[in-house]
This record gives sequence, structure tokens and C-alpha cells, in this order.
Amino acid sequence: MSGSSPTLDLVALEFDQVSFGYGGVPVVSEVSLSVAAGTFVALVGANGSGKTTLMKLGLGLLRPTSGAVRLFGVDADRFQDRWQVGYVPQRASAATTLPVSVVEVVRTGLAGQLRPWRRFGRAQQDRLEHVLDLMGLQAVRDRRLSELSGGQQQRALIARALVTQPRLLVLDEPTTGVDADARAVLRDSLDHLVRVEGIAVVYVSHDPESFSGLADRVVEVRGGQLVDIGPTRLLDVPDAPALELPVAEDAR
Amino acid sequence: MIEALQFGFMQRALVACTVIAVAAPLVGCFIVQRRQSLIGDGMGHMAFAGVGLAFIVGMDPLIGALVLTALAALALVRLTRLGVGGDLSLALIFYGGIAGGFLFASRSGGGQNQILAFLFGSPLNLTWGQVAAVTALAVAVVVIVVLLYPQLVAMAFDESAARAAGVPTQGLVLALTVLVALVVVGGMSSIGLLLISAMMVVPVATASQIATSYRGTMWIAAGIGGLSAVVGLLTSFYADAPTGAAIVLVALATYCLTGLVRFVVGLWPATKRTRQPA
Repeated sequence: MSGSSPTLDLVALEFDQVSFGYGGVPVVSEVSLSVAAGTFVALVGANGSGKTTLMKLGLGLLRPTSGAVRLFGVDADRFQDRWQVGYVPQRASAATTLPVSVVEVVRTGLAGQLRPWRRFGRAQQDRLEHVLDLMGLQAVRDRRLSELSGGQQQRALIARALVTQPRLLVLDEPTTGVDADARAVLRDSLDHLVRVEGIAVVYVSHDPESFSGLADRVVEVRGGQLVDIGPTRLLDVPDAPALELPVAEDAR
Repeated sequence: MIEALQFGFMQRALVACTVIAVAAPLVGCFIVQRRQSLIGDGMGHMAFAGVGLAFIVGMDPLIGALVLTALAALALVRLTRLGVGGDLSLALIFYGGIAGGFLFASRSGGGQNQILAFLFGSPLNLTWGQVAAVTALAVAVVVIVVLLYPQLVAMAFDESAARAAGVPTQGLVLALTVLVALVVVGGMSSIGLLLISAMMVVPVATASQIATSYRGTMWIAAGIGGLSAVVGLLTSFYADAPTGAAIVLVALATYCLTGLVRFVVGLWPATKRTRQPA
């Protein structure tokens, strides 16, 4: 199914023998993984398995102790075109001390593209309106984010990540505290983004049901290493035998 | 009230207190959102040391405070990057400032009383030159906040997401800390080193009770700050009370009153509140 994408050969995110540790304690060990355009890769793993660290390395928020992380072929350290990467953090990060409206939250996604001392232009305003439409947020655009349901808050965070029209979308536990209807909307949106828009998606979750049928590949992070589980359908059966696969050198 | 403003010293105090009380909450919105409400206190204590040092070396207190708070801003950011938690690094700055300030004050001989006047402010003794310097600082703060507004909001709301989106968060953290230092130095002669940080926080807390947006919170807070300065100064004149304390107490009273009004309105059934008159 991902073969239908015209940009499949483009690698959006690549881990090349990446290791990382906190204070000398290894958290991620020699991980290699490629995420191509138009593919949906799910990262699963227990708390403390290293999946969040791996995600932060992929976003360039952490620097690997060895190996290389590349975004669209460029070292994450030196990657300038940040608009190409959309990041949807856990919804807990939306807990704000001060009031913030939905449109303000979504607009912050554009701040990285704006040079200091400059204002948003017409094209950026248009993209803002488009993404509010896309995520069904126009009716609540001026409401306080904290007044919205969990699903609406999540959609606002996704809209913020999409407002730059990224080519790689990284989502961290996007369905936590989100009701069934909102999950369905999220699934449809992600399916559209991957299959139609050709966006690469990295989806970090401990809930296989939330990406069942969507993911092209499911990779388990276990003890800082990768275990390639394979296509989502293997996860339809709880405790599928594929979970017992040995650690892959390159979980491609 | 008009009568009070016929005096030159009151006019100078009005300008000095109001401009900084308007500018302070604009910076406060970002530090409150980042849960650093006490950062102004840390900077205030370091400015105290700067004023003391300035008296010893014979420098303008404003310059001494600016230099030391700028160094404190750099140290704070550096300590945080080295892994010293935000709270702990702030405490180190705070205690360094108060100890250094007291030491310098004790060595400054005749300047001791003047140094202590900066702790709680003495706006009635300002010259127009000093008022101009305070106004310049306040204008600089407003201009920087307005120009960096989109990036500052992104960073304050979610620093990791902002970094991932390419916002230069490290530089912005430093810029924000320097903005706090500018507000503290700007407010030390009028509202006082120990009280000016309250004007960064209290009006923001009040505005957050009624605003629905970040921008709205900022402008309402700036308005409350300015209003508190005017009402506080006039109250202090007629009640013969310390001005800085009066301004902060007015701001706190506004917070309480707003909370009370919201509580009472909340008690009123929604159907009655929205019913149209017959």
C-alpha cells in the first residue's frame, strides 16, 4: 500500500547505528532504522524501554553518543528545514498555566519559520486557516484550549504540527485520554496523510489497537534495542508470536 | 486626585511607576507560563548587589544593577544548561545576590541608606533624568517582547515542540532572562527591588482569570499593572503610605476582587445570566 507513494524512495528519518546514554548508562544501543516517505512506522515498548529517547534523538532534541541520526539525508544536528518535521508531543504538554486559545496554539507551529522581528505573512495565515479546517477546529478556534475535550486538544496539537506542511510527522502517545470518536478521526486523518499526502509517520504508542491496520511496520523498543515485529496485522492477535523475534541488526 | 498630580515629584513618580508596571506583566506572562514566577525575585536580589557595588566604586546604581543582573541572567542560563535544576540555580543566584548586596551595603558608608531605599523604591525622589532612563528601559522591554512575541509564545507554551520546530529556544531563554533583568532594574527606583517582581506576576494571575487567550492575558495584565500603579501611587500620597507597597497591594486587591466577582457570577444560574430582558 505504501508503494503507491511517488516519494517512497525518500528516507525521511534514518537512525544509523545510534547509541545514547544518560550519565554513562546506555538507554539506546546501536539502533538502525529507516522511515521512508509515505510509510507509517509504529514504535512500541514498555515504559523505560527507550522509545521516547529514540523519538527525541530522531527529532534532534538529543544528540547521539555514537552513530548518526539523519533527517531527509542531513545530520539532525545540522538540519535546518525544521518545517519538514511535525512533532505532536503527549497531550500533557498542553496543560498550560495561562489561558491560550486554539488558534494561538496552532500558530505557534509556525514560529520556527518566522525570522526574529518579522510578522506572519499571507501564505502562513492561509495555511493556518487550512489546517484549522482540516482538523475540524474552526468552531472552537477562539476557545481556551483547557476547555476542550481530550480529543479536541489532541487535534489542536496535531494541527500545530501540520501547519508547516511537514513531510515527517512524529506523534508521542497521541491517543492517551482520547475518546473513541476522536480516535477514529485521528486514524482517518493519519491514513489520509500517509496514503494521499505521502507523509512519513512515526507513531510512538503502547497501545497497539490505536494503530492496528494503519502501520506499515511495527517496531518494538526493548532494552534500548529494536525488535521488528512486522506489519500491524500480526498485532491483531494479542501476544503474537512475532513479538518473540530476535533483535534485528537493522529493523528495516 | 488632580491636585496631587500638580506636584512635579508626583508627575515624575506617576510616569516612572506606570511605565514599568505596564511593561512588567508583558514579561511576566512568559515567566508565569514557564513556571518561573520567582525568577524576578532572584534577579531583584542580584540587582541589590549591583546597586551596592555601584556605590562602592562610584558608579550610577542603574548601571551597577544592569551589569550584575545581566551577569546573573547569563549565569542562570548556564547553570540550568549544566543540569542544575531551574529552582536550584535560581536559589543560588538569589542567595548570592542578597549576601553580596548586604556586604556591599555595609561597606558603602554613607550610601547605605540610599541602597536600602532601592529595596522598596522611592519614586517621589526621582529626577526627570532618572524617569527618562526608566522609561527607556520599559520601552525597550515592550519593543523586544512585541518583536519576539511569536517565538516567545511558542517557547513558553511548549519548549520541546518549539525546539523541534526550529525555534532558537536557547537564545530565547537568555533573552527572556535579560528581559526580566531589565524590568527589575527599571522598577528598582520606583517600586523597589523586592516588589517589582510582584508586578510581573500578580497582574498576570488576575488577567488569567478573565482572559480566553494568551494575547488577551498579556494586554489585560499590562492594563491592570498600569492601573495598579496609578491607583497605588495616589493612594500612597493621600494615605501617606509607601508607594511600592501600595501599588503591589492594589494589584493583589484586584486579583482578589476579580476572583470574588467570578465566584459570585458563578453562583448566579447560567439561565438568568443569559436571559434577555423582556
